[in-house]
Amino acid sequence: MKSLYVEGHSRLHRLPARLKLFVLAILGVGIFLTDDLLVLVAFGAVAVLIFASIGLPLRAALAMLRPVFITILIVAIFSLAFNPWQEALMTLLRLTTLMVFAAAVTATTKVTDFIDEITRLAYPLEKIGLLRASDVGLAIGLVIRFVPDILTRYEAIRDAHTARGLRLRPLSLLVPLIILTLKDADNVASAIDARRIRRHAVTKNKEEN
Amino acid sequence: MLNTRDLVLAALFAAIIVALGLVPKIELGFFPVPITAQSLGVMLAGVILGGKRAAIAVLIVLLLVLIGLPVLAGGRGGLAVFAGPTAGFLLGWLPAAYLTGLASESLVDPATSDMKQLMSFFLASVLGCILVLYGCGIVYLSIAAKMGFVAAFKSSMIFIPVDVVKAFIAALAGRAVLAGYPLLPRSKA
Repeated sequence: MKSLYVEGHSRLHRLPARLKLFVLAILGVGIFLTDDLLVLVAFGAVAVLIFASIGLPLRAALAMLRPVFITILIVAIFSLAFNPWQEALMTLLRLTTLMVFAAAVTATTKVTDFIDEITRLAYPLEKIGLLRASDVGLAIGLVIRFVPDILTRYEAIRDAHTARGLRLRPLSLLVPLIILTLKDADNVASAIDARRIRRHAVTKNKEEN
Repeated sequence: MLNTRDLVLAALFAAIIVALGLVPKIELGFFPVPITAQSLGVMLAGVILGGKRAAIAVLIVLLLVLIGLPVLAGGRGGLAVFAGPTAGFLLGWLPAAYLTGLASESLVDPATSDMKQLMSFFLASVLGCILVLYGCGIVYLSIAAKMGFVAAFKSSMIFIPVDVVKAFIAALAGRAVLAGYPLLPRSKA
């Protein structure tokens, strides 16, 4: 699976992930506190400049922002239909600024850095016994490992339909796909416990069973 | 704390939800519009895994989006998705899957007739993945886009028929998986 991270050495790439996420969070709250059109325009311009500083070629940048533009367009239409234009414009500016800046953070932060940040944020939850912080990385790894398998299995089931001249129906596709995939769970779980990857959890499991 | 099997089941289901966003849309035959299977995957998580594990599965998918993997249908992902006005429909997956799962656990009894199980699964899916999900999505949309509750409500209604069909498919699949490889916990209520 290819991430939305873009290889590069811009200033934004070199900033720590935590700082970028912190600024994004502040911006997310702050931008709703002002009602001054000029301030919002300024923020929007800064966000675009920051995005441009990543150094993407124009075409790749536009492709990356395309989903952003589509959402913005739809909201713009609805917003204009129900609000005076000044208010619609402010809503538009706020959302565009946030989404462009968020896209910039995503493009300049490696997946592993994100996982490290999330794991660190999960430590307080580990303290109160909700989860193990290292499970975050484990779960993400499992998904990335299994998605290709599931797609291969999906194709096999689809081919089995075609070979027998059956039409593809959601049920006859999904049910075998889900059962076959979830049946792996016991083996995978045993493999994880056998390697003592989640050290505390193993003893806990024995108590539960 | 979570045992390893539950964590793995949730992760595998998260992988199924991601994979369903990558496969082509599914034709139904009796319904004119082809459906995106990804949101169906969220309902399926609830009816198959039960509340807790379904919520963890969805949480894993949301984390993948957050860290910048293009795991949503159409290759979307990254922080920008959460900054958008329709983020409520995405964040709403979490309570939706949890409540669909909880409702399935308490409504569905394997000892009852197929028809009764089917209706229970259908009710659970509608409650969690339509009522609760649209509640979250519409409230968020009306605040984020400042379009007013009624306008946000009206503009979301066109998606309801497709989701009712999905709830029905989820119910059929939930029953079939319960018969073939039961995983749904029974609540002792």
